[in-house]
Amino acid sequence: MTVSPEKPARKLSMKQRYTALTHDLDWTPTYVTEEEIFPFTTFEGIKVHDWSKWEDPFRLTVEAYNKYQAEKDRRLYAVLDGFAQSQGQLGLTEARYMNAMKIFLQGIPIHEYDAHRNFSYLARYANGPGARFAALCQSMDELRHAQTEIHTLSHYNKYFDGMHDWHKWSDRVWYLSVPKSFFEDAMTAGPFEWLIAIGFSFEYLLTNLLFVPFMSGAAFNGDLPTMTFGFSAQSDESRHMTLGLEAIKFMLEQDEDNLPIVQDWLDKWFWRGYRLIALVAGMMDYMLPKRVMSWKEAFELYFEEQMLNGLFKDLEYYGIKPPRHVQWAIDEKEILSHQVYWVLYQYSHAAAFTTTIPDEADQAWLQESYPETWPVFKAAVWDKAQRVQDAGGRYFNPGLPQLCTVCQIPMGFTEPGDPLTQCQRQSVYEGERYDFCSDGCQWIFDREPTKYRQSWLPVHQIYQGNCGGPTLPDVAAWYGLQPGDGAEYLGSPDHQNWLAWHGQAPKED
Amino acid sequence: MQFELRTQVIEPKRKTFTNLVERFGDRPASRYEEGSIDIQAVENFHYRPLFSSDKEHYDENWTAFKLTDPYSFTDPRQLYYAPYVQSRAAMNDAFVKTVEYVESRDLLQKLPEGWSSLVGDVLLPLRHWEAGAELVSIEGSRWAWGTTIDQCCTYAAFDRIGHAQNLSRIGIVYAEGHDHALATAKERWLGDPALQGLRRLVEELLAGDDWAKKLLAVDLADRLLYPLMYTHLDEVALSGGAGAYSLFAQHFASWFADQRRWLDHLVKTWLADPTHADSNRAALDDVLAQRWAQIAEAVTDVAAAVDARVAAGAVANVELTTATVATDLGALGLTVPGGK
Repeated sequence: MTVSPEKPARKLSMKQRYTALTHDLDWTPTYVTEEEIFPFTTFEGIKVHDWSKWEDPFRLTVEAYNKYQAEKDRRLYAVLDGFAQSQGQLGLTEARYMNAMKIFLQGIPIHEYDAHRNFSYLARYANGPGARFAALCQSMDELRHAQTEIHTLSHYNKYFDGMHDWHKWSDRVWYLSVPKSFFEDAMTAGPFEWLIAIGFSFEYLLTNLLFVPFMSGAAFNGDLPTMTFGFSAQSDESRHMTLGLEAIKFMLEQDEDNLPIVQDWLDKWFWRGYRLIALVAGMMDYMLPKRVMSWKEAFELYFEEQMLNGLFKDLEYYGIKPPRHVQWAIDEKEILSHQVYWVLYQYSHAAAFTTTIPDEADQAWLQESYPETWPVFKAAVWDKAQRVQDAGGRYFNPGLPQLCTVCQIPMGFTEPGDPLTQCQRQSVYEGERYDFCSDGCQWIFDREPTKYRQSWLPVHQIYQGNCGGPTLPDVAAWYGLQPGDGAEYLGSPDHQNWLAWHGQAPKED
Repeated sequence: MQFELRTQVIEPKRKTFTNLVERFGDRPASRYEEGSIDIQAVENFHYRPLFSSDKEHYDENWTAFKLTDPYSFTDPRQLYYAPYVQSRAAMNDAFVKTVEYVESRDLLQKLPEGWSSLVGDVLLPLRHWEAGAELVSIEGSRWAWGTTIDQCCTYAAFDRIGHAQNLSRIGIVYAEGHDHALATAKERWLGDPALQGLRRLVEELLAGDDWAKKLLAVDLADRLLYPLMYTHLDEVALSGGAGAYSLFAQHFASWFADQRRWLDHLVKTWLADPTHADSNRAALDDVLAQRWAQIAEAVTDVAAAVDARVAAGAVANVELTTATVATDLGALGLTVPGGK
């Protein structure tokens, strides 16, 4: 074989080959301008001088992607089929464990799906081919997660309530406006803010806090399909974490003027994400029959140790500071889950999950995990709820709560250092008053009042007559809730079925 | 004879999710249905996009094409993620085997001269067409109203960036492990008059709006380009001693048959919609009025470049295909601008 003189003697390295297959597909347009093709990457003020500096550490090709993913899905679906065939739900710790998965199905797949759609936005509108292809792969992954999560939980839907109308609920039910507003906030921002909001803050900073309670919770409670899904999503997630980190570094390295913009977004999305996963905190401390760890422990490990003492030390180099309001979150770690679960408990008659008073074993665990704060909450609320129950009743709050304009969680959080005084902040914008649960949410509003004044606040909407009618049954019908979807766990259809499946008579309660 | 295996049987409370029962009746749903129908959020949106003051982040009005019920369209291939990646993994395997076979026998180096220049000058630059078509397709993934349409666009986009990568692989084998043939191909894409029609088309589409109109314009071009490059030339190659070309072409031709299935069905669904059929037809007529002549000319230029290298009757083939596609579109009640 002869080598022609203009030909380089050495064959392509892996990196050159990857570049030839991917980045080199790009060209500079001449019939139209670059701005016409990529219209969305300037209005946020982020300056990019050289898109080719976007590194893709995974060097994935379409061929490799399809091969790995096909193999992973073959294994996952084999587990799902086997679990369904063997009626695996009988091996769960308890039926009330399902509440964690109800919240998961109602609040997660639809937003994985949102992430799919908006990573497609980046796959189209990022100016650089490296960033676009990484976003395209993540768009595919997020679609995968939405579908595999639905398929994983589909079997449970056949045997348990609180799952059958997740799609309608996610657009309508009050607590589900928390994740909905979070993701819509990110989707309606620009491409760079999306990368900080979802790519970095959500997928990197907070991802363990979000997924460990669900996936490890599944492993501890006999939920083989969800645990298998979790393992199956892990390698995708590690790619997403890498993309998130790459995105923030890329922006910071491109121009120092980007630093204050990125810091602002980081401050905003840390607090937004932290408030969102407050729901997870309540779930993990109160809804798992077998606990993995407490919220407090998870927060200390996955956030304080790994992020504050790890990641943020690395980001210091770029001038990035730990998120504004982070101290507030640290100060809340011993009270957060108690406050959230108490909200869920008293309003679960209008929800698609059930709640119950922590039983003796739960209370012993809570006492051990929160020796300082559990006794305070026990005395303040649970002893009273128990007295109502002992008298043959069940405490539900008959009113509608005020919601925080930004995070949309009912105003049940408290002043720093005082776990029994409700925190209430207010801002006035163009003559209208807006209320917030915390300094963090107020700060977010004050930065972008024209955005947050648009919030679709479920309680306001009910009062405005947009949710089926003025009474609770009207609203529940509009939500699509059926008997058994919400309210008290003890004596619920799920509870009774569980006892019947296991040959026990329903408890008298 | 098989042994008996008993499992505990518990009567399920319901067969599937409520929205699917309301839609299809009380029957078990397929995984395609559970994973594709009513997934996208549809109401009570919180904030207007910062980049768009007149449309929501999910909005029917990102295109002129509308369906009364977005889920009146479902993918005839019933592809959700898992079967999609599995089918594509199998396609990729087959393609890789072809590459290895062609490489091991130096088949690209043994091509007759005309075919060799056809590969280098015409086929390889089309990787940029595929990359552009990917960008048009992924717009549907962001802007489509409803998951079933989004999903088809997403997979089409991923397929097409895969094609761009596969054409690049051919280029690397063609250059015996180097990338100079790809560099030359890119120069041609940027400067060769025969390719400027296609490049201008895709650049203009990327700069325009209405993702669905753009998707259809790319498809119209594909409907002339794919039969030429991957069906007609496949046959000519076999009789012309260019086996390597045929070996590669088959993969693209069989993908295109798969791509047609959902696109044809989508167009039919648009044109059959109980309330929007007329405006959908008008939108498609718009695309034809605006782009059909440009597309036919662009692909004819490519065909002329083929004929200049191999006596393949490429221009005649494009003429024939143009007439066939025009007849098919006419049969759908569309107005195809008269002969070019």
